[in-house]
Amino acid sequence: MSTGYQKIKPHKLVIPSTITPKTTKKKYDAIVVGAGPAGSTAAYFMAKEGMNVLLLERGPYPGAKNCGGASIIAEATHKLFPNFWDEMDCERLVTSQSYWWLDETSAITAGFRSMRLAAAPFNRFTVKRPIFYAWLAQKAVTEGATLCLNHHVSHILWEGRQAYGVALSPPQDDNELLADIIIAADGANSLLTERSGLTPAVSPNHLSLYVKETIALSSDSIEERFNLKPGHGALIGLIGYPTAGFNGTASIHTFKDSISINIGMTITNYVQAGLPPFSLLARLKRHPVIDTLIRGGITTEYGSATIPEGGYTAIPKLIHPGVLVVGDAASLVNGTHGFNLAMWSGYFAAQTAINAKISGDFSIKSLHLYRQLLDKSFILQNMKHNAKAASFERDVPYFFSLYSHIANEAAFEITKVYTMPIKTKRKLVWKKIIGLQPITRILRDMWKGIKVLWGN
Amino acid sequence: MGQLNFDDILKYILFQVDDNWQHVTFRQTERCTDCSDKPCLTSCPSGVFSWNSIAGDPILIAYKQCVECGICRLICNNIEFSYPHGGFGVTYQQG
Repeated sequence: MSTGYQKIKPHKLVIPSTITPKTTKKKYDAIVVGAGPAGSTAAYFMAKEGMNVLLLERGPYPGAKNCGGASIIAEATHKLFPNFWDEMDCERLVTSQSYWWLDETSAITAGFRSMRLAAAPFNRFTVKRPIFYAWLAQKAVTEGATLCLNHHVSHILWEGRQAYGVALSPPQDDNELLADIIIAADGANSLLTERSGLTPAVSPNHLSLYVKETIALSSDSIEERFNLKPGHGALIGLIGYPTAGFNGTASIHTFKDSISINIGMTITNYVQAGLPPFSLLARLKRHPVIDTLIRGGITTEYGSATIPEGGYTAIPKLIHPGVLVVGDAASLVNGTHGFNLAMWSGYFAAQTAINAKISGDFSIKSLHLYRQLLDKSFILQNMKHNAKAASFERDVPYFFSLYSHIANEAAFEITKVYTMPIKTKRKLVWKKIIGLQPITRILRDMWKGIKVLWGN
Repeated sequence: MGQLNFDDILKYILFQVDDNWQHVTFRQTERCTDCSDKPCLTSCPSGVFSWNSIAGDPILIAYKQCVECGICRLICNNIEFSYPHGGFGVTYQQG
């Protein structure tokens, strides 16, 4: 291997300080279920205002349960956690973003790279989830929140119709933890809200399953292969071929000394495809334009996780008596944006909880502030704008794969130099395109796509 | 690189195994015999469900290699899925 990669360094993981609550009936101002971006942000802002906050995480450390190449939006994060880049160990500063439309052997690429993206307050950083999650949870702990790891909440406890605490799974199942307000931040596929009778099970049309592979490569190789300055990073969105004929997306994220390849599509698509999810990764890694990027790399981790992708219309009821639902549990994901929606929903939930504590009122009416804050913010306004994306992908199920293929076929013919006259070649290209899909269909699908992008 | 098999995948995922409690089960194993699609066999990202293709033989559940995505319960109403108890299950190192 000539990649220069020496050894796989374990990431330095700062495990936040934790305590196990000794008393069984201790009452908190707020209990947050899940120490991910949404939950830890909510815990941080509530604790900062002097609330007595318990943050429960089922994993042995924050971030143990989620995976998939990740980047955070600098401005959205900076507004909540000023100059976070000085505190948190970010992986790479993203100065190169591109989309690649793939068919079986080729790719059409469109990208943007600019040093303007490298100027403070920056635009995006790639992050490793365990480092990012641990940093956020530690911030909440520093403000006084109590973090309990290895604690799985099984359901919410009700007195009449008002939530008054949570019950834990074994081995802590004799504990009842009490609070005026519960913040459900337990992620996509939220069993907490479902088993507490608050939301129905998520539809397989609205949940996407991603598979990821982390591949170690030396920092130098990454910078060389992706044409990056030292410390800078690239994000590549991959469309078409990776999802084997179905709508879905794939991506490549660059980290300090590794890259990750991620592929995802809806659960309904996997069932229809009958393809084992991980087989999509092996297939993509063999693709000629991907193979050269990862050559000589060493696989260090596989993983799989879900992302809610039902969009605006799939958002469940977010406010219940004494309960707020945030982040992925609330389906607050907009295209490739999830972390910033999670953190901001956690922040809004914290504002609402602080307000409710002051008024002593934890009814739906009082907690309605959460919805108002979300409605006014970029979160729900942008989600509303993209509301039709999920139904469009179901409506035109061949969109990504067929049009990536047609575009690649056309691009090949245009690039290929023949001895035939230009007029004949134009005819050939045209016939090739309409041989793959009637022109009326193409125009109709494109028009539908434009309308979705435009937000009508 | 050849076709992936689940043994390869599992080498690269760390688990804290709970030997005392199985968090994925079938509600009624008989119903699997009548199921013609068996979507659990192909859709699970870590190959928890396996079957020897002999009619009448049960589908096996290797719950110790579950990555807790929970999609099995969404594709089949005969599958009972809960998250593992606190501290157990998958532990991603790289994010």
